[in-house]
Amino acid sequence: MSIEENKEYTPKIIVFACNWCTYAAADLAGLNHLEYPASVRIIRTPCSGRMDPNLVLRAFNRGADGVLLSG
Amino acid sequence: MVAVAQHPNIQLMTMAEVVNVDGYIGNFKVTIKKRAKYVDWDLCTGCGTCMEKCPTKKIPDAFEMEMGQTTAVRFLYPQAVPGKPFIDAEHCTKLLNGKCGVCEKVCPTKAIRYDDKDEIVTEDIGAIVMATGYDLFEWEKAYGEYGYGMYPDVVTSLHFERLSSSSGPTGGKIQRPSDGKIPDSVAFIKCVGSRDDTKGKSYCSRACCMYTAKHAYQLKDKHPDSDAYVFYMDVRATGKGYEEFYMRSQKAGAKYIRGRVSKIYPKGDKLVLKTEDTLLSKPMEVEVDMVVLATAMVPAEGAKDLAKIVGFTTDKDGFFQEAHPKLQPVETFSAGVYLAGTCQGPKDIPDTVAQASAAAVKVLGLFAKNELATEPMISEVDYNKCSGCEFCVPICPYKAISIKQLAERYHGQQINRRVADINPSLCQGCGACLPACRTTAITLKGFTDEQLVAEVDALCL
Amino acid sequence: MKRRVGVFVCECGTNIASVVDTEKVAAAAKNMPGVIFATNYKYMCSDPGQELIKNAIKEHGLQQVVVASCSPRMHEKTFRKAVEDGGLNPYMFEMANIREQNSWVHKDREEATQKAEDLVRMAVSKVLKHKPLKIATIPITKRALVIGGGIAGMQTALDIAEAGHKVLLVEKEASIGGKMSQIDKTFPTMDCAA
Repeated sequence: MSIEENKEYTPKIIVFACNWCTYAAADLAGLNHLEYPASVRIIRTPCSGRMDPNLVLRAFNRGADGVLLSG
Repeated sequence: MVAVAQHPNIQLMTMAEVVNVDGYIGNFKVTIKKRAKYVDWDLCTGCGTCMEKCPTKKIPDAFEMEMGQTTAVRFLYPQAVPGKPFIDAEHCTKLLNGKCGVCEKVCPTKAIRYDDKDEIVTEDIGAIVMATGYDLFEWEKAYGEYGYGMYPDVVTSLHFERLSSSSGPTGGKIQRPSDGKIPDSVAFIKCVGSRDDTKGKSYCSRACCMYTAKHAYQLKDKHPDSDAYVFYMDVRATGKGYEEFYMRSQKAGAKYIRGRVSKIYPKGDKLVLKTEDTLLSKPMEVEVDMVVLATAMVPAEGAKDLAKIVGFTTDKDGFFQEAHPKLQPVETFSAGVYLAGTCQGPKDIPDTVAQASAAAVKVLGLFAKNELATEPMISEVDYNKCSGCEFCVPICPYKAISIKQLAERYHGQQINRRVADINPSLCQGCGACLPACRTTAITLKGFTDEQLVAEVDALCL
Repeated sequence: MKRRVGVFVCECGTNIASVVDTEKVAAAAKNMPGVIFATNYKYMCSDPGQELIKNAIKEHGLQQVVVASCSPRMHEKTFRKAVEDGGLNPYMFEMANIREQNSWVHKDREEATQKAEDLVRMAVSKVLKHKPLKIATIPITKRALVIGGGIAGMQTALDIAEAGHKVLLVEKEASIGGKMSQIDKTFPTMDCAA
């Protein structure tokens, strides 16, 4: 890595995480201090069944670079 | 068994089946069909005179795996609980063509009722425990190489249990079914239907390794001169004291041969097994008098339909689906419905008892409360927006949505409109109904569209 | 519903504060729409921490509460209780997970602080849309149904009955006992199955 590097492009990722599995897994990742980029932001959902496609579109619409739906 | 029948808090309903379940946790309405017994059990003393005198004596006895014969009016088996007889309507000549009536004449308490009818009762129930058990895999339909059930001396391990039982058809002498000869040699084949993707089930039935070890041991115990060959893929003796028992069986003289039997064919009055000893990489043929198949456990007949009636799901093999394989092994996806024993998956007796007690604790935990608080973060229908399309009804994994009639005034007229209605006791707040709702009539309290959109916006902008 | 949000940023000792500048997060929260009060504290879940929330609700007339701390799977119930004790509906509350999903998984202080602010903003915008929810109760019929009278069904029925509750045991055959009644002896003890 060179010293005069520009700030690297880091995509903004929105995660929709099911409360019962993925959200708990993200907590577990925390418990084990597993590192991942800070540009990942997690939104808790009660279940992936709750996910409406409109929410994904909304996230892209508002500037998210990636959306992860996990449950 | 007797402890169950005598317990003042336990009401027994035998020859009965659950036909419908309505309601929800704490408040189930269960409809039960009590099949006609043709004997008034309140009057019957269980003396057994009717069974003694019944002239229809040649019915193959299902309890004895059809290795014995029984009567039309009978106890299921001599130690049955409750100790009362019933009439088998399929075989009773009186019920079939009106002739006979012997049991009615001989009954000292006049308890016989030829006009008995099936009865439907409805019971108020707070919690349900499913304990429907297992059946044996029908090997006769799948295993042509073992003779499709054509050879009388190729039997299942349950047959062997009856043969070695002192109350069984042979009085505990191990005799082969075809000619009653005490076998000089018995082959036990494990994993018949288990761990066999092509013909049977992919899972391990978990109890067979041990009961086969027990059978081999019993054979050597009762008839020390008989040979016991056990054909196996692996020996899975994982419980407490199991490995020791398996060793005990080997010490008693059971011969373990690692290999699948590829063919059984008769030769004189013997059966020849073609197999391979895979530890020696040597094909071999073994002549025996009798073959015992350790067939797979499969869900009890009708289990799938019952799951549907009670309102929960089954897994790919038809066993009842637990809510979580590790953390909620006795709960189902339906609140207030719990699982015990082999209806959830194959297991042996110690595990069954442990799970049964666990299920009891779950019920008692529920009964320890006087009232149940419902989670408020659940779905709600705006009746004004609901078009009654019913898309949400099949989506709901908890059967919480039903359609109700809404009386309304429309242009001065009284009309009934169909709308979706959510039962707050059944709804678990998963929100799966929301994407299915075309008119956005359903909202999930605490996770509304508005709220999730606000979260997305707050993060993205 | 009035928009009067209070934001409480937890340091969790150094669990959060070592990576996230909690003071800066609290200061940023003060400028978020609807927020009228924001502070940080060492342990929000401790007794003094909960007192802080209760007092702030009364003192500042808060209508909504956001706690930025550990995972809601950990302490959501604790804080709901505190909010209720403070005189609000317990569901006028939201948590921002800045420990498990932030300070424990990121190292860059600046990035983590920025993310914490974002997560607090997310919680604030959500809590503003909260409505008071009511917990309903349903009665319980204390009578159990056990379907199947084999080993499992009998054991369950006995355990429940022994504890003093009524049990209805339904069996499709004419006798209980199930498959076990057909079995001779049982491993590994070889005792009889009856």
